[in-house]
Amino acid sequence: MAITRRQFLKRSGLATAGMTLGPGLFANPFVRRALADTIGDRYFVVIFLDGGNDGLNTVPIYNNGSGTLRDDYNLARIAGPGGLRLTPDDLDGTTFGNGGTLLSTLNPLDPSLGKDPNTGAKLALHPGFRGFPDTQFPALPQAPGKDGFFHPDLIGKVAVIQGCGYPQYSLSHDEARNVWKTGDPAALYGGPGYGGSGWIGRHLADLSSGYLASDIPGICIQDSIAGELKQTKTSILALQRLDRFGFPYDSDNSDDDTAKRTAFLDLHGQASASAQATIKYLGDGGSVTLKSSESYPAAGVDYDIDRGTTFGQEYDDLGRSLGRDLREVAKIIWGVSHNIINPDNSARFFQVSNGGYDTHSDQGAADPNGQHFSLHAEVSAAINIFYRDLKDMGLENKVCVLVWSEFSRRIHQNDNGTDHGSQGPMFVIGGAVNGGVYGVHPNIADSAQDGEGNTIYQSTPDIYGFKSTDFRDVYGTVLKHWLNMPSGIIVPNVLQTDSGSAPDYWTTPNFDMGFI
Amino acid sequence: MPDGTDLNPIDARHLLRRTGFGATQSQVDDVAAMTRGAAVTNLLSFKPSGFKPGGKEHRDAHNKWVKYMLKTKSPLQEKLVLFWHDHFSTGISKVRDAKLMGSQNLLLRLNCKGNFRIFLKAINKDPAMIEYLDTVRNGKEIPNENYAREVQELFTLGVKDGSGHNNYMQDDIVQIARAFTGWGYDKGKATFNSNDHDFKHEFDGDPNPDRGPKVIYQTTGGFVGGADYAAGGEGEQEIDAIVDIILEHKDTEGKNTVARRIARRLCEYFAHPDPDQSFVDAVVTSSSFGSNWDIAGLLHQIFVHDAFYDTAIPGGTKRSVKWPIDYVVSSLRLLNVKPKGRDFFVDGFDYSNLFDQLTNMGQTLLDPPSVFGWDWETSWISSSTLLARYSFARSIIQARGGGGSSLRTDKLFDLGMTNPGAIVDAVSGLLGVKDYVSGAERTILINYLTDTNTVTPDLTEYDYRNRKLHGLIALVMQSPAYQLH
Repeated sequence: MAITRRQFLKRSGLATAGMTLGPGLFANPFVRRALADTIGDRYFVVIFLDGGNDGLNTVPIYNNGSGTLRDDYNLARIAGPGGLRLTPDDLDGTTFGNGGTLLSTLNPLDPSLGKDPNTGAKLALHPGFRGFPDTQFPALPQAPGKDGFFHPDLIGKVAVIQGCGYPQYSLSHDEARNVWKTGDPAALYGGPGYGGSGWIGRHLADLSSGYLASDIPGICIQDSIAGELKQTKTSILALQRLDRFGFPYDSDNSDDDTAKRTAFLDLHGQASASAQATIKYLGDGGSVTLKSSESYPAAGVDYDIDRGTTFGQEYDDLGRSLGRDLREVAKIIWGVSHNIINPDNSARFFQVSNGGYDTHSDQGAADPNGQHFSLHAEVSAAINIFYRDLKDMGLENKVCVLVWSEFSRRIHQNDNGTDHGSQGPMFVIGGAVNGGVYGVHPNIADSAQDGEGNTIYQSTPDIYGFKSTDFRDVYGTVLKHWLNMPSGIIVPNVLQTDSGSAPDYWTTPNFDMGFI
Repeated sequence: MPDGTDLNPIDARHLLRRTGFGATQSQVDDVAAMTRGAAVTNLLSFKPSGFKPGGKEHRDAHNKWVKYMLKTKSPLQEKLVLFWHDHFSTGISKVRDAKLMGSQNLLLRLNCKGNFRIFLKAINKDPAMIEYLDTVRNGKEIPNENYAREVQELFTLGVKDGSGHNNYMQDDIVQIARAFTGWGYDKGKATFNSNDHDFKHEFDGDPNPDRGPKVIYQTTGGFVGGADYAAGGEGEQEIDAIVDIILEHKDTEGKNTVARRIARRLCEYFAHPDPDQSFVDAVVTSSSFGSNWDIAGLLHQIFVHDAFYDTAIPGGTKRSVKWPIDYVVSSLRLLNVKPKGRDFFVDGFDYSNLFDQLTNMGQTLLDPPSVFGWDWETSWISSSTLLARYSFARSIIQARGGGGSSLRTDKLFDLGMTNPGAIVDAVSGLLGVKDYVSGAERTILINYLTDTNTVTPDLTEYDYRNRKLHGLIALVMQSPAYQLH
């Protein structure tokens, strides 16, 4: 069944791309090159929910619509101790007295956008997506990131894409992560693969994106380089905190710093010329690390001067890792957009992750102290602060956030948690995004499950109209419409698609999420 | 015969580096005079110690273990405990009990070179593991699949064999989960409660096919018609029976699946990434690991095999990245710097303790990032973790207090040296990378020593020694060559 959805929000901001930047930025050939080619003056942030996020309780079903989705849900998720059922009262605000988390309230101008396009069932987000309750922050006037995705600034800016996955799914964390990071399910079954490169990495490495070996287009806010960004053509940085990203010289002998710097770079230059891949990797990595350590920390200092007591403080008050990680992203975006960071190192792609989603036990339903509630509250509050921070910088239309997890979880719960599952929801968030529901909810009826109790990947609609979303269609949408990558290159070089009888979503106008 | 092959200085240093935490010149000289077989027999002759990293807090247990590594006379034992800690990955952030983690560490130490069958059966009943992978929350009404999946995917079979065929199916996970129902732990000991165990007769008439016979590997493993793990009776013996079945599992080439996989992991850990299948199969065959499950015998065959020494060749293509704990412990041992205090810090620039330094390098002992353990090789390397390594080098060379925890270059080196090349060679030699520093790199280091037109360095002069000799040590520790082993 085709997706029917009215476009109701005019795209904003992008038509004037290039006019909002400071004049200094365009003096650099790298920025000109990038601007002429793909991402331009935009940014892209990927958030990985590590462990397999339970989709059924992330985008819960409020009522049946024309089908039986809510009845099926009630069979799978039980009430009582250990039960994971979210009641309609939990979703429409009755339980919490806060307006609820029905998706229709995310799109007040067009409440039909809060329904499953196939069955018309009303959909919601988990109550945690309004952020933490104020009572968990007694020392503050209100919870940081209050109202999460339901803050007025985010209304109409959150897209939920249902039923994302791939056929013959893997239930192994490792294999499934690899599929999503490489964008290549075929590698599970003897396909050629892409030499371990990530789907964003291949975009960066492609000639059309224009990056050189000395450029640093991507940054991971963690201690390792994320699979999505892996490739061998350009440089990716991994850092945790800008204020600890200085090169450690001997502070008792600073008159020797220059000599050390020269020797360090010469040694690493030798390694960069090595034919041995690991030695070359260490040489390139050391040089890029030293040079970026000379420009990146200044962005954090400047950010703190300008916004340390406002948004900077709010991330701190939230006290969760995802908030602190997104603050580092905000600092770097601040630095790039204010020409503080060396434009040669101009980073526009970011990766952060949040762990704890492998909820085999003690998952919790609507209890604000439960695991799943807390995870969703953390994500929604952190993104809320990040979005408002960007909006205050005037950049909310320049940043797109994509949220994914390696799989969803089993339809029927176990004693008090859920085992590994198949297709699940993704989120795309940003000022240039047309919020709403994309893709259709999977068929979770007992009769429709596979032998393992998971939803079946439907390449074409089943007799009830259920069709799955190829997760690569979401990637393709971002590559084509946000990163402006030519479609002809996406398919052969960057992303194989299912090429089934049904047209790929990413090429259809009503799946563009408003990017163009 | 590889056993009778004579070692040489480069191979001897390699063997000691891989089986320990760096080596002094006199240790290398001793081993270089031996055959491979004699040296390896010596290395493997240690009696597993009863050391247990105790303490109430994670940091206490962590620091006790690191301190033990700094002092131990059997570093190979610790290298093996680290391997098994990664293999049977268990993290305190979920277990939340340092004593259980300490007990598991003792279990790893006692079994580190013993019998893999006995080892695996003990891991199944280890309280920290029972907590970590949810065996304690595995109820008979709706079994929890967590442990049943990982015991196959990570601890034994792997998802696929070398030919890309699945080693097990989802149904095998469900069936194995049933066997682990009823297990828990109490006061640090595993418990079995038969009332919570899934007995077939309790589900007579249940239409759920998962409640049928307790048979696994109906389509994989070379078992005709599958293997019945309740054949010897139902109850607490089932989880031992499952180990015995898994150890009989054959891949699609008819080879023992677990023997090949464990041997491959050990080759990757001790020799180099991506070992040839012929190397792996050779050590499995010559050790008979697939029938005797003797880990020490398998290790012996790895350490005497020609392919093990491929990594030692300067300029060769088989290089491997040091784990952070190896980087830290071997540096401290070679430079004779002793961290101090309950917080276990190096007396250098920022007084940051080893726990934080190792965490910044990407390796928090007793708390690996997930059940997959740590990612090895170049996954250890990023700008973030490199800066942490560079910072550790800085804190060592700034440890100038003069006390027992300081870097005492006056005791490590002949201060009478005046030739810059000789000084560079002495430093790279002490740190074990002299054979891996090219001529051009040596020149770069000589230029660093003499950049202030000091043609004849005077190491007896305190300021020069502090600035340049310490700086040289930092540069070598920060160099690409020193990140490898």
